[in-house]
Amino acid sequence: MVNLKIDGQKIEVEEGTTILKAASELSIEIPTLCYHPALEPYQACRVCVVEMVQNGRSKLVASCGRVVEEGMVVKTDSERAKRARRLFVELLLARAPASELLQDLARKVGIEVSRFKTKKEDEKCILCGLCVRVCNDVMKIGAIGFANRGAKIEVTPPFKEFSKVCTTCGACAFVCPTGAIKLEEITENKVTPLLSEFDEGLEKRPCIYIPFPQAVPNKPVIDRENCMYFKTGNCKICETVCQPKAILYDQEDTIIEEDIGAIVVATGYDLMDISQIGEYGGGRFKDVIDALTFERYLAPAGPTSGKVIRPSDGKVPREVAFVSCAGSRDPEHGVAYCSRLCCMYLIKQAMLYKHAVHDGQAYIFYIDIRSNGKGYEEFVQRAKEEDNVIYIRGKVSKIAEDNGKLRLWGVDTLTGEQIELNADMVVTANAMLPSTGVKELASKLRIPTDSHGWLQEAHLKLRPMETLTNGIFIAGAAQSPKDITDSVAQASGAAAKVLALFSQDYILGNPVIAYVDEEICAGCGTCETICEYTAVEVDPLRNVAVVNEALCEGCGACAGACPSGAMQHKNFTKKQLFDMVEIATEKY
Amino acid sequence: MKEFRTHLMVCGGTGCVSNNAFKIKEALEREIKKLDLEDEVLVVMTGCNGFCAQGPIMVVQPDGVFYQMLTEKDIPHLVEEHLLKGRPVKKLMYTPSEKKKPIPKMSDIGFFSKQRLIALRNRGLVDPEKIDEYIAREGYKALAKALTLMSPEEIIKEIKDSGLRGRGGAGFPTGRKWELARNAPGEQKYIVCNADEGDPGAFMDRSVIEADPHSVLEGMIIGARAIGTFHGFIYIRNEYPLALERLIKAIEQAREYGLLGEKIFGSDFDFDITVHRGAGAFVCGEETALMACIEGRVGRPRPRPPYPAEKGLWGKPTNINNVETWANIPLIILRGSKWFSEIGTQTSKGTKVFSLVGKINNTGLLEVPMGITLREIIYDIGGGIPGGKRFKAVQTGGPSGGCIPAELIDLHVDYEELTKVGSMMGSGGMVVMDETTCMVDVAKYFITFCMDESCGQCTPCREGIERMLDILTEICEGKGKEGDIELLEELAYAIVDGSLCGLGGTASNPVLTTIRYFRDEYEAHIKEKRCPAHVCKALIQYFIDEEKCNGCGLCLKQCPVDAVIGELKEPHSIDQAKCSKCGICYESCKFEAVRVE
Ligand SMILES: Cc1cc2nc3c(=O)[nH]c(=O)nc-3n(C[C@H](O)[C@H](O)[C@H](O)COP(=O)(O)O)c2cc1C
Ligand code: SF4
Ligand code: FES
Repeated sequence: MVNLKIDGQKIEVEEGTTILKAASELSIEIPTLCYHPALEPYQACRVCVVEMVQNGRSKLVASCGRVVEEGMVVKTDSERAKRARRLFVELLLARAPASELLQDLARKVGIEVSRFKTKKEDEKCILCGLCVRVCNDVMKIGAIGFANRGAKIEVTPPFKEFSKVCTTCGACAFVCPTGAIKLEEITENKVTPLLSEFDEGLEKRPCIYIPFPQAVPNKPVIDRENCMYFKTGNCKICETVCQPKAILYDQEDTIIEEDIGAIVVATGYDLMDISQIGEYGGGRFKDVIDALTFERYLAPAGPTSGKVIRPSDGKVPREVAFVSCAGSRDPEHGVAYCSRLCCMYLIKQAMLYKHAVHDGQAYIFYIDIRSNGKGYEEFVQRAKEEDNVIYIRGKVSKIAEDNGKLRLWGVDTLTGEQIELNADMVVTANAMLPSTGVKELASKLRIPTDSHGWLQEAHLKLRPMETLTNGIFIAGAAQSPKDITDSVAQASGAAAKVLALFSQDYILGNPVIAYVDEEICAGCGTCETICEYTAVEVDPLRNVAVVNEALCEGCGACAGACPSGAMQHKNFTKKQLFDMVEIATEKY
Repeated sequence: MKEFRTHLMVCGGTGCVSNNAFKIKEALEREIKKLDLEDEVLVVMTGCNGFCAQGPIMVVQPDGVFYQMLTEKDIPHLVEEHLLKGRPVKKLMYTPSEKKKPIPKMSDIGFFSKQRLIALRNRGLVDPEKIDEYIAREGYKALAKALTLMSPEEIIKEIKDSGLRGRGGAGFPTGRKWELARNAPGEQKYIVCNADEGDPGAFMDRSVIEADPHSVLEGMIIGARAIGTFHGFIYIRNEYPLALERLIKAIEQAREYGLLGEKIFGSDFDFDITVHRGAGAFVCGEETALMACIEGRVGRPRPRPPYPAEKGLWGKPTNINNVETWANIPLIILRGSKWFSEIGTQTSKGTKVFSLVGKINNTGLLEVPMGITLREIIYDIGGGIPGGKRFKAVQTGGPSGGCIPAELIDLHVDYEELTKVGSMMGSGGMVVMDETTCMVDVAKYFITFCMDESCGQCTPCREGIERMLDILTEICEGKGKEGDIELLEELAYAIVDGSLCGLGGTASNPVLTTIRYFRDEYEAHIKEKRCPAHVCKALIQYFIDEEKCNGCGLCLKQCPVDAVIGELKEPHSIDQAKCSKCGICYESCKFEAVRVE
């Protein structure tokens, strides 16, 4: 351990610690520009200079790289250190006046304007070398470097040609504190940024990210497919910057086995992809977007901070057309059903759009408005009256791009007239589809799905949150399109069902269940294949069928199929059945 | 070996070679053959003699007669007179301007008499391409002593006791540096000879290698033994082809003689040297940048600590010394530290090689004891300022040294004294300036050099130097403002204080010293828009004194921009709108009628 004094405070730190780190332990802040915890200290920007006194000699050192020594006295705020720091910031500000980072730092150290001449007003690069170092030292690629020397030094790929070796990993742009690095100016290869799934691709996301705000658990995940470490073995920047050392690259997916008493399937839904709706541009027109994407534009914490803009040119759309039933109620697209919530959310979006763009005009195309919830109809009326949303009854038949605008064709079914409308942007309410993978899950759980793929309830009216398999329940849009209100209601119901199940000491089973007469059973396995509930298995040792009484629903399929008649129903044997028939018909 | 009556030592240094020294050699050999003197007279090409201003140079040994400015035409006469008839040729001897009498003996010439040769002990006396000649002059005797009679610790002690300090610039005690490297943990270590010599106008190290490469090799082998390494590097700039060639030859010969390689002198000590050619950037002479170059990386300095002695080449302990430092080693070992430490001053022992250039009669290379005064160097050795002009200042220490004014001419030259006046020893460049030199312009010149050579990593050096240049340029162009001097000082101090390496750490010296000693000149530029030395074009005007002009028309003919107007035999005048201030009229006028203000 090493003892030293920083700004009059004593501190003991480990050998090899830098002054910067030691100072931060004392909560003393020293500005830095070229320092990054994932890189070796460069000690070149020199804004982190501090005065160091040792053996009666005092000098300025770069705190980011200077390692502490026993008995060292450090003054981070001495007049000499401050004066030098201020001048270096002032010099850098003259070089890179467009860098916001530098402007902020300049303000912090008390500089209004630089006294020195500026060569390039729009320069951002402060030559901190972070990009060059990360590319060379960490990613081990070497796509960029410094050309020239002295005042003419600049960051560029070799020979100022687009780099062939650049892998577009983006580490340079990631560490650049000023935004001066543009990947497109470096690489010969196509830059394909990773897009945030949560933000519907409107925003980029890094390889390690928290999937969405308030995610549970609220912890980052690594996108293994794109992570440079998993691809090349280099990088590991996240590991170096993570102070609690929480990054474990060798963590593997594990299969967890748990015994549980009930399952609630709440797998939600997917939206029909816009590219399947060819007549609306099929994903070709940038300004035709689905409502979920529009939702991100409206979100105050979204990628545009709530500003509504057109994806194509970033301009504020003056006229927005909202199109209901994009795919829904349209057997041609395979969706005969109504998606149920589009009417209401389009109205909400139209209203929010109006609140964001006061002089904008919203149009809603609809087949008919389904506002059958509490307060829904009043909401529809408010949109019409207060926000002047124009409703056009009719389905949009086609959308085309025309001179930077979008043209919509349709029929106004109230007047019977053909209509054409120009809009800056179109928001479509795409059909809701069962989520991908739900079929597979359903077959694993042995719960049936309906003809569209939605999960089948035990009884549409009487048992809407139960399935035919005991102990498995469903909730939300996994069953059928539902809005939040309905989903909450159904989920509460499912939860109550589970609690009811758990409140009993014993599970009451159906007394009428399958039973094997082992003397007769030949172990042919017909019953095993036919049972929907995996309640029958052939014991491989004894070669007879065995019934799991907890799973058996007593449907009788096995008994009917058994070729030898070994499979019978308890309390409902053939003999009992015939006896009952006999007694019932005795009279006659 | 064959005995000769006379040796003709023809200087083969770069200066003389570029003045056709090889032709002179051929002519000499031709004449000697013609006169049948082949068995009596031997022509030897030596390293740089030092008196480069007078090249090509030849010294006749053993008489010590010094001939200079030779041309091929002179040779037949010279050979016949001196070598056949025994009559030295007066008109080819050195003639100092004041006394009109030629001086025959080299040792009597002022340029040589005040010098004391240690690093350059063999200059002009041996053929640098022949190891035997070096050996004949006690070469490799020190190595034998060090290897057979001394332990590594004793070698280090000897060097420490001698007080030898690094000749590459910073003046760090060499013995202590060796000790640090020896004591650094690790099996693999390296030593390096720094022969980058990037200072403009400096050629000390080149001359040492050209004149006596074995002295450097011997120093390195002794150092290797003391530090405990079996691999050394010499980093030499590729722009020194002759030095490079001689160095490689010397290494080959030393290997042949078993002085490099395995089991040197039959001991258990192995050592060999690799020559690394540098592509010539001033900053690559800085030790950490130099190591980066040897490792094959870009030549940019890195922060110290860690010092090379802890983490040098490929992370191993490394000892770097300058060419001249290495060349001093053999003699210290041979004659003892006591002998060496008696030369020089309290803190600076031994001698220092300087290259004397600028406004001085005897430009050249000299080796003088530490503590000699500037006056002795400039007047006794340098022969004073040409054209009867007034001495104004001398800049020492290379491009980032300081300018020492005429008032301080009696300064004793050593590390501490030079630092005290704001300059430095540096590697030993000395640029003499006379009254026609503008000190602002000088500062601008050196700052331009430092700006071009800055590696560009750290903010103070990269940005600060360029901003200083901006201000200096404005001052020279007459756009100087009140407060510029203070801003220059502020910048200069911060650059010194905050730079990452020695380049930025010293780059401000020319600015700071010129402000310190010639502040009035800066003020004249800024306040009166006047350049007292008549150098800054924007601040001067040429005009013709009507009284003196007789209308000869010479200036009119020579003016490249037709700015001179006037009829023949009538007083002329200069059209100020056209005048480009080249000064040709001023130079050409025989009647001193053109004036500048
Ligand atoms: C910008 C700069 C340039 C340098 N150039 C040289 C050089 O050309 N030759 C040299 O020997 N030392 C040069 N040095 C000094 C070296 O860094 C180092 O101090 C020296 O080689 C050590 O040798 P010494 O102890 O024998 O002097 C330079 C230093 C700086 C800061
Ligand atoms: S002081 Fe100059 S040469 Fe030295 S590291 Fe800084 S920019 Fe490079
Ligand atoms: S942060 Fe320390 S020098 Fe840049």
